[in-house]
Amino acid sequence: MRSKLFVFVSLLILASFVLSACQPTAATPVVETVVIEKEGQTIVVTATPAPVVEEVETPTLRVNLGSWPDIIDPQKSSFVNEIAHLKMMYEGLTTQDAELTTVPGAAESWEYNDDATELTFTLREGLKYSDGSLLNAKRFEYSIFRNVDPATAGEYASITDDIAGAKEWRYAEDTTLPELREGLQVKALDMAGNACTDYEQVDCRILKIGLAQSAPYFHTVMSLWVTFPAKEELIAEGGDIWWTSSKFHVGNGPFVVKALEPYVRGFFEPNPNYWAGVATYNLEFRYITDSAVSFEAYKNNEFDIIGLAAEDLATVQNDATLNAEANIYPGSCTFAVMFHQLKEPFTNQKVREAFAMALDRETWVADVLKGLGSPTLTWIPKGFPGYDAEENRWGFDPAAAQAALAESGYTVNNGALLDPTGAAVDMIDTFSDTPRNRVRHEWLVAKFKDVLGVDIKLNPVESTTYTAMTKDITTAPQMFILGWCADYPDPQNWLSVYWKTGAFGERIGYSNPDLDAKLAEADSTIDPDARMVLYADAQRMLTDGAPVAFMWNNVNAYMVKPWVKGIVQTPQDAGWPGDVAPLSITIDTSMIP
Amino acid sequence: MTTQVSHPSTGQTQAHIANLTMMTVKPRSLWQDAWSRLIKNKASVIGMVVIVIFTLLAIFASVIAPHNPLQINSGKGFTPPMWIPVGPNGVPADPNFIFGTDTLGRDVLSRTLYGARVSMTVGFLPTFIIIFVGTIVGLFAGYRGGRIDNLLMRITDVVYAFPDLLFFIIVMVTLRQTPIGQMMNGLFLLFSALAVVNWVGFARIVRGQVLSLKEKEFVEAARCIGATDSRIMFRHLLPNSLGPVIILTAMSIPGMIITEAVLGYLGLGLIPSTNPKDFFITSWGASMLEGQTAINAQPWLLLLPAIAVSLVVLAFTFLGDGLRDALDPRLQGTQ
Amino acid sequence: MGKFLLRRMLWLIPVILVVSTITFVLMHAAPGGPWDRDLSARQVDPVTQKMLNEYYGLDKPLWRQFTAYLIGDTNSKGKFICGLICGNLGPSYRQRGLTIQQILFMPPEEKSIIYSRFGYSMRLGVYSLLFAILIGIPAGVLSALKQNTMTDYISLFIVTIGISVPNFVMAIFLIIIFASTLHMVNIVPRSWDEVSVWVLPAVILGFGTMARTARLTRASMLETMRQDYIRTARSKGLAERVVIVRHMIKNSLIPVVTMLGPALAGLVTGSFIIETMFGFPGMGRAYVTAIGQRDYSMIMGTTLIYAVLVALANVSVDMIYVFLDPRIRLE
Repeated sequence: MRSKLFVFVSLLILASFVLSACQPTAATPVVETVVIEKEGQTIVVTATPAPVVEEVETPTLRVNLGSWPDIIDPQKSSFVNEIAHLKMMYEGLTTQDAELTTVPGAAESWEYNDDATELTFTLREGLKYSDGSLLNAKRFEYSIFRNVDPATAGEYASITDDIAGAKEWRYAEDTTLPELREGLQVKALDMAGNACTDYEQVDCRILKIGLAQSAPYFHTVMSLWVTFPAKEELIAEGGDIWWTSSKFHVGNGPFVVKALEPYVRGFFEPNPNYWAGVATYNLEFRYITDSAVSFEAYKNNEFDIIGLAAEDLATVQNDATLNAEANIYPGSCTFAVMFHQLKEPFTNQKVREAFAMALDRETWVADVLKGLGSPTLTWIPKGFPGYDAEENRWGFDPAAAQAALAESGYTVNNGALLDPTGAAVDMIDTFSDTPRNRVRHEWLVAKFKDVLGVDIKLNPVESTTYTAMTKDITTAPQMFILGWCADYPDPQNWLSVYWKTGAFGERIGYSNPDLDAKLAEADSTIDPDARMVLYADAQRMLTDGAPVAFMWNNVNAYMVKPWVKGIVQTPQDAGWPGDVAPLSITIDTSMIP
Repeated sequence: MTTQVSHPSTGQTQAHIANLTMMTVKPRSLWQDAWSRLIKNKASVIGMVVIVIFTLLAIFASVIAPHNPLQINSGKGFTPPMWIPVGPNGVPADPNFIFGTDTLGRDVLSRTLYGARVSMTVGFLPTFIIIFVGTIVGLFAGYRGGRIDNLLMRITDVVYAFPDLLFFIIVMVTLRQTPIGQMMNGLFLLFSALAVVNWVGFARIVRGQVLSLKEKEFVEAARCIGATDSRIMFRHLLPNSLGPVIILTAMSIPGMIITEAVLGYLGLGLIPSTNPKDFFITSWGASMLEGQTAINAQPWLLLLPAIAVSLVVLAFTFLGDGLRDALDPRLQGTQ
Repeated sequence: MGKFLLRRMLWLIPVILVVSTITFVLMHAAPGGPWDRDLSARQVDPVTQKMLNEYYGLDKPLWRQFTAYLIGDTNSKGKFICGLICGNLGPSYRQRGLTIQQILFMPPEEKSIIYSRFGYSMRLGVYSLLFAILIGIPAGVLSALKQNTMTDYISLFIVTIGISVPNFVMAIFLIIIFASTLHMVNIVPRSWDEVSVWVLPAVILGFGTMARTARLTRASMLETMRQDYIRTARSKGLAERVVIVRHMIKNSLIPVVTMLGPALAGLVTGSFIIETMFGFPGMGRAYVTAIGQRDYSMIMGTTLIYAVLVALANVSVDMIYVFLDPRIRLE
């Protein structure tokens, strides 16, 4: 009996513990619910109880960003949704406009020396952080140092490798040696040209960057989030987890972060000290990953901006109101069917040509992407500097594809591909296994079979396994779909960063000395027009060998409520439309139902 | 952990007498008896019929299906079912596709029929393994108690301690690219993982039942007349503890089918086939996943497999209820 | 009783050892590592990878990484970092700078612990368990008492839906019905401090458990109703109410309780799908994404938390057995 009582009491204790854990839910009502009766419809509106003073309420732009960022640290982040947060809170030396031209950001001007081995920025006068404190060149110097510093181990550290001394420091055996740090050619100077002393020095407005070789594109690199000037003292105060608290994010961007609740919301207010002006709305990010749910929430007026999924596109287009709210425009990625140049049968150029010409890109976009994409035959996408509208080689042509295969010496027998000696070659299409990719690759192999008569096996692989596999030239699959999204809008980022020997293209065994030479020449050419001509030549040279079958460019597809005005669309938009120019956005509160 | 009442074995003679008496009053076996009662129960007969129908559909899917489930019809993606003239996406219906098409214009009905193969197999096969292992382990642990109980229950503690989904995912991720992972389009690995995780639930349920049953009068009585341990376990304890086991079985089958779907969502489901002659082509789970994202465009992609799963579950529930009644020895001769 | 509890708690140590060994071996056998990221963007370059591996000790032999996780090891700067025995669940490789215990138990922006990911999951788990018990057990009892009547069939219908319709399907349907059409709740909760926004996730999360509870209760009730002692109790002239509550229900709860124990652990650790669909800030997503990200400490951490929760739940189940059936004794 006694033990029974004990059990009962302990259960009671457990229950009271559980109940007390739930209590604060009801105890702290921060939010009140107002129910408004309107046109026979009940709309639930929630609002934070405002102070007694009646003010014109700042409207809030509610954006569904999809997934919660893993890390919001300028020198450590690398993902789209992470950068979407950083871009609101901070600003780099340069930035982009609607045409993706690099324009002044925190710097008012910049100039290269004659051979483009030195880049000098002049900061705007009177730049301030959101808390009103001074922002001088020393801050940017710190950020660039922090990005290169191997102790930071930033994921994008390699993007600033063009700076003199950066590679030496990052690749050193002992990275703690002081001379390595001193060797990094980034210097904050005052207007007289002397080294700056501290963060309080008002006339410290010059940032001089020495480059390891000619790099006339480097001012564009300086628009990236890796140079965003987070404050050294706040990073030190917050320790390893400084980026999780909004109070440590004092920035120079158009907005100030007010709340960061993991997986719930990120809330931003306009930065009163932003040099270009003050936004007229608050910004709220939400993180609903499921596209069907987010679409329902949008229709329910709970979001102002969401990403549009391919499955819902037809439904949107069939509804006049929704269709008017759809924003669909080119994106920043190119996808291609990669052929491993060192693995049979793609060692043979004619086979590569045959497969490239067997690919019906128009039908792909219609069937699989439901129109959310545009077919392409070239590497740099439309809307980016360096786009080649003339390229038309290796487009869909079943007859030519069959002819090319016949010419290659390979034959098809009852679905099996036989090499010139008559031995069968296993054809395997490898992909990262998601429901969406399954559909895509089922389509792909079915169409190859239609045109070339070759049976291709599907090999779905778990996504990280797939990443690990495709990274290495020996384990990279025979055939897979892969894309590249621009870091910054310059042909150098598309061609040199990807296709030079030893760069990313190496994973499929691509190495072309002629192309390397052409790209090296283009990279160091200072005259912008001559540079573009060289890159155009290089891009044609790349397509000559049909190393891959260029397939499609993604499109940005968003739903935007009609009361959100002034969205500036660029291909580089990744998190949400208009993040390139948030100040031009206004909200017409009179239209909100 | 449980007190063990030890019973000194009664004399051999007594046991012999007990056996003799038993033999004289046993015209039919327990199972024959149960079967005759089972087929008198209408609901369970319906359940059985439904299960048989679905099994036949699965086996003969290639004959019954109106279309090749892999046939891509360009430009006919997300066709609505034939009784809806124009879908919410503006695509007109096509009488060729009774329940419409999926994103690539493949026939939903045919794919659902083929899906029955994978899903019925995923539902049944691991469940049978699990019942077998789980019941025996639970029976022994509960009945013998003491050290064996402790050992077996600690093993189950370890298995239980893994979050199911995490275990499935990690096993699938690790072994997917090995030959084991490729067997039966990846289904073999899935079965094994499902079985390893789920037998514990059955074992614990059976053990819980046995723990309370073995102190009951009829077990004491059986012991007194000198019945052997195995006889007590399989003739007395097992039938009496089958009720919850049958219920759990009926619930475990859809659980397996859904787990396959969720793993598909995470990119770890069935390896898709490109050859229409293959046995395993697609699964209900995969269709439901596709349907969930396309709920606005083509709801039948989701509804048809969901209805199929529900029917199978309902059939199993009916059959399970009937089985439990039929196996209850207290009802012997009353119906 | 105290001795029993102590022994069960001590048993947890070998269980955790075995569980962590198996998890450790499996996760390290999986191809790829924490620095293998989304392919369409720039990858972490080899030098940085080397730095990161050194910093996190991932360049050490596997056995050493294992002991480092359990006991501790010196880091690249020569400082000793204590492992699991000090309650340190290790650093996250994806949310760099944060440790696993910070991710799971640290509330954002200095709020109370119930706003941590674990706190959210705990609250949702408890609500959905309450839903499962408060609806499931009465439904099961009722359909057993009124076997083969309309009540029984209606409850069977609901239960079948609960078992055979996956979470992700039910969630989208309930959202369309209650949020999009009836406008009773918001799809995207403005704040998790409102009570009403918990209803949909809790119901969807608890529906399966509720269905199982109802079925099991019904079966077990039917079993109990046929026992001799029920007949005895009735013939003693006890009121029907007393017979049902004190004799039938109490005795038929054993299998239900057996199932609910581990179910609680499952509910509390959260659900990947519910959290993805409702943007719920719980920890259920953590362990699913951690595997894809090869965030080793997170995989270990969530597994171990789950293991401890299951052990606690099972001890409670054993204690409830005693309460329900006095013939069962705990040594």
